[in-house]
Amino acid sequence: MEVVVEERIVKDIKANLNIAGEVKRSRRILITLEKEDLLKVSEWIKGRGFEHLSAISVVDWLEAGIYEITYHVWSQEDKILITLKTSINRQKAVIDSVISVWDRSAGIHERELHELFGVNFEGNPDLVPLFLEDWEGPPPFRKDFNWREYTGEKYYDQENEREHVYYE
Amino acid sequence: MSEKSKKLGKIIKAIWIFNWFNSCGFAELVPLVGSRWDMERFGMIVVGNPRHADVLFIAGYQTLKSIKRARLVYEQMAEPRVVLALGCCTITGGMYWDSYNTIKKLSDYIPVNMYIPGCPPRPEAVFEACGKIFQHVKEMD
Repeated sequence: MEVVVEERIVKDIKANLNIAGEVKRSRRILITLEKEDLLKVSEWIKGRGFEHLSAISVVDWLEAGIYEITYHVWSQEDKILITLKTSINRQKAVIDSVISVWDRSAGIHERELHELFGVNFEGNPDLVPLFLEDWEGPPPFRKDFNWREYTGEKYYDQENEREHVYYE
Repeated sequence: MSEKSKKLGKIIKAIWIFNWFNSCGFAELVPLVGSRWDMERFGMIVVGNPRHADVLFIAGYQTLKSIKRARLVYEQMAEPRVVLALGCCTITGGMYWDSYNTIKKLSDYIPVNMYIPGCPPRPEAVFEACGKIFQHVKEMD
């Protein structure tokens, strides 16, 4: 497979921003970076034609104590997907918002992740809940959230023996 | 037989339904409208406005968000109104018995006249339940 354009983009990023990228295969580039560099790299690749932010996702690594935040950015011109990966402390989950770069398409993803993981995106003015209404518990997608226990307490009658949960 | 039930018995020839279906609840009950079971031969029609409806069908799991809207729909319906809850999800939560964001027992939130169990209930079961509504009206005091 030809990876000429991919190699050139990685080389350009290395030359301009001094950040190493990696060509995974044709049309796929992976860049692992520090969270301080996120905005810098985002702005640069946006200028290079990567205009479509398809998704932001969070992976919760409980043992390592980090949130791995992944940005998938697509270029309509080159038909290449860049994956930006960065990790933050899951106790103090704060990261810069990319709303200044990709505008509202970033906003909706950040809103979702704020709700489900409790990640605080600094610079996003609209972090109101998206799916959950009147939610009082902890962010539900965190690995340390025991949803079975929560459900048992919230929806089932503790006094009633017939409503006791009997899973193994 | 009282005067009221006599009147209602004459008036009720057809039941008009408003559907409040979440997720697979809708997909599984579509055959009710189709030609094989064809609920219209019993005068059952789905209406587009809760204000016109006599019967509210609720099927599928209800999330905390959608149950609020279901309540609004219920409050808009004119008296006398009947609520039929379809499927296991409305009885115990069904597959979602341990989900943090779906309700478990529908009658904790909305007064339910009849539960129809099944996942999904057979169309015949729905018809039988509707037949019981007529009977209920006839036996009213």
